[in-house]
Amino acid sequence: MKPIGVVSFGEIDGMVLKAIAAHILGYLRIDTEIFSPLEYPGYAYDPRRLQYDAGAILKAFESLPVQSYAKVIGVLDADLFVPILTYVFGEARQGGKCAVVSLYRLKNNPDGSKASSPLFLERAAKVALHELGHLLNLTHCEDERCLMHFSGGIRDLDTAPPYFCRYCSVYLHDGLASL
Amino acid sequence: MSKKITIMIVDDEQIVRESFLHWFERLGYRVEMAASGLEALEKLRQFGFDLLFVDIKMPGMNGIELLGKVKEEYPGTIVVIITAYGSIDTAVEAMKKGAADYLLKPFKPEQLSLVMEKVLSQKKLITEYEYLKGRLDKISRFENIIGQSKAMQKIFNLIQEVAQSDSSVLIVGETGTGKELVAKAVHAKSRRAQHPFIAINCGALPDSLLESELFGYQKGAFTGATHPCKGFLEIVSGGTLFLDEIGETSPKMQVDLLRVLQEKKITRLGDRSLIDVDFRLISATRRDLEEEIQKGNFREDFFYRIHVITIAVPSLRDRKDDIPLLVEHFIEKYSHETTKKVDQVSRDALALLQDYDWPGNVRELENAIERAVVLSKTRTLGKEDFSFLCSPIIRTAGSRSLREMEKTHIENVLDECDWNVTRAAGILKVNRVSLHKMIKRYGLQRPL
Repeated sequence: MKPIGVVSFGEIDGMVLKAIAAHILGYLRIDTEIFSPLEYPGYAYDPRRLQYDAGAILKAFESLPVQSYAKVIGVLDADLFVPILTYVFGEARQGGKCAVVSLYRLKNNPDGSKASSPLFLERAAKVALHELGHLLNLTHCEDERCLMHFSGGIRDLDTAPPYFCRYCSVYLHDGLASL
Repeated sequence: MSKKITIMIVDDEQIVRESFLHWFERLGYRVEMAASGLEALEKLRQFGFDLLFVDIKMPGMNGIELLGKVKEEYPGTIVVIITAYGSIDTAVEAMKKGAADYLLKPFKPEQLSLVMEKVLSQKKLITEYEYLKGRLDKISRFENIIGQSKAMQKIFNLIQEVAQSDSSVLIVGETGTGKELVAKAVHAKSRRAQHPFIAINCGALPDSLLESELFGYQKGAFTGATHPCKGFLEIVSGGTLFLDEIGETSPKMQVDLLRVLQEKKITRLGDRSLIDVDFRLISATRRDLEEEIQKGNFREDFFYRIHVITIAVPSLRDRKDDIPLLVEHFIEKYSHETTKKVDQVSRDALALLQDYDWPGNVRELENAIERAVVLSKTRTLGKEDFSFLCSPIIRTAGSRSLREMEKTHIENVLDECDWNVTRAAGILKVNRVSLHKMIKRYGLQRPL
């Protein structure tokens, strides 16, 4: 099976990519590779919203030659949006090839304080695993004790476990088997 | 993993439609998209949708116009309005026109989740309402009163007419004819249908108990009245009170009820304060009340109060045309309840059921079918499954001599055994020779 690729858009803390790769390997038992950073997506900036369009980044990302990877997760520092939502932690198409993860809103706690480094890394890994779930065709799960349960805010993300419920695990392995 | 609710996004901006599409795909919903109000209506006509997200500002037919049309033609479809900042007034107007909620673009991810939760619970309520309404319709469509005969068609028409008024109704008919079902149908068709229907059998309760049940009591009104209790006349508030066997009430109770009907006020036992009551009275009896008045057992003034309208329910022997239909209905009912695969009745058994007099009317027929279904070992109920109905012992024993009874009984047993003398002798617990002698003595002959 081809490995899962993990890459940053522009420069980010290397620990984040390592944490994401370790979580994917640890929870899904799939080889993961971190490869050279991609260009920062300045083209996706929307001056009216002062944010980056996740859809535009995803579109450009999916057109890149990344055939040596089964799926690719791109990580960036920018605040992402989709037209109907004020922000998103990450974006991926169901069954798609690429996903993007934003670190922008993971750095602070709901009360405004700065999140500790381990908590920040755990959040990044959870978002990456959740988006990878969508790439493997998993939909949002109704079980609150599942990583595929929808997280509307940082509180939800912190209460979500870093693993999948047994039903989603079955679908996940089906998805992996079809790669 | 697609979920059952069907969603359509109506927005002229492709980027918004796709954004919604990706969102709902990730939630496991199947989503359709429309770029205009007209396209949305066309898709609604073709497929029908449970939930629509509609943008207010669209060229041509705007969101409010589309909302109006959807609510007019598809009232069960839930509409959530999508609007931008600055058009709150329009959103308020949309809510007044029946939108379930509105979302201000762009919205926080958790807001969409909350709206979906709200919409899903609303959808559940609509589904439950439709289900309950269907059940109510089923009851009020007279489906519980089976009958195609002219006599029953007249009753159905009368129920429709009577239900519109608020006058007291007296239902007369033999026991087992379905008087309570008629009362329930009048209630279900009336403006009081949303309120309680309370049925009391006056003949089953002693006078003192009936009084406390109807009027209620205060604490200490009598021994055992440890707490105040509302009577049915209060509980029925706004609904229909059905007094079965009204002919069995005592003269005192008749006076008390007459006062309630005149004044629409009651006092609880052991209390003097007046309580307003609002109910419609439907009474039923199998007695001839006019005859009872002549005998002095029933008050004339009370009689005129309760029989403003009279519905006379025909006996089953007066509507024998309905027997096949009733038989079919009860077979279906009891084969379902007992999970036995009985689905029809033989021609000769049906002829037997149509010949029988049914002194206990529909109730007796129902019991007969239930008994036959429970005991039957085949899918078709035959004449032998209703042998208990043929027994002349039950019907005419009182006027027959022992010799006549013996003759009839031997004849019946021989018929049941298809004139197999050995089997019949076994049932009658006599030897074959004795049975042959009896057949000869009574001049019995096998039917041709």
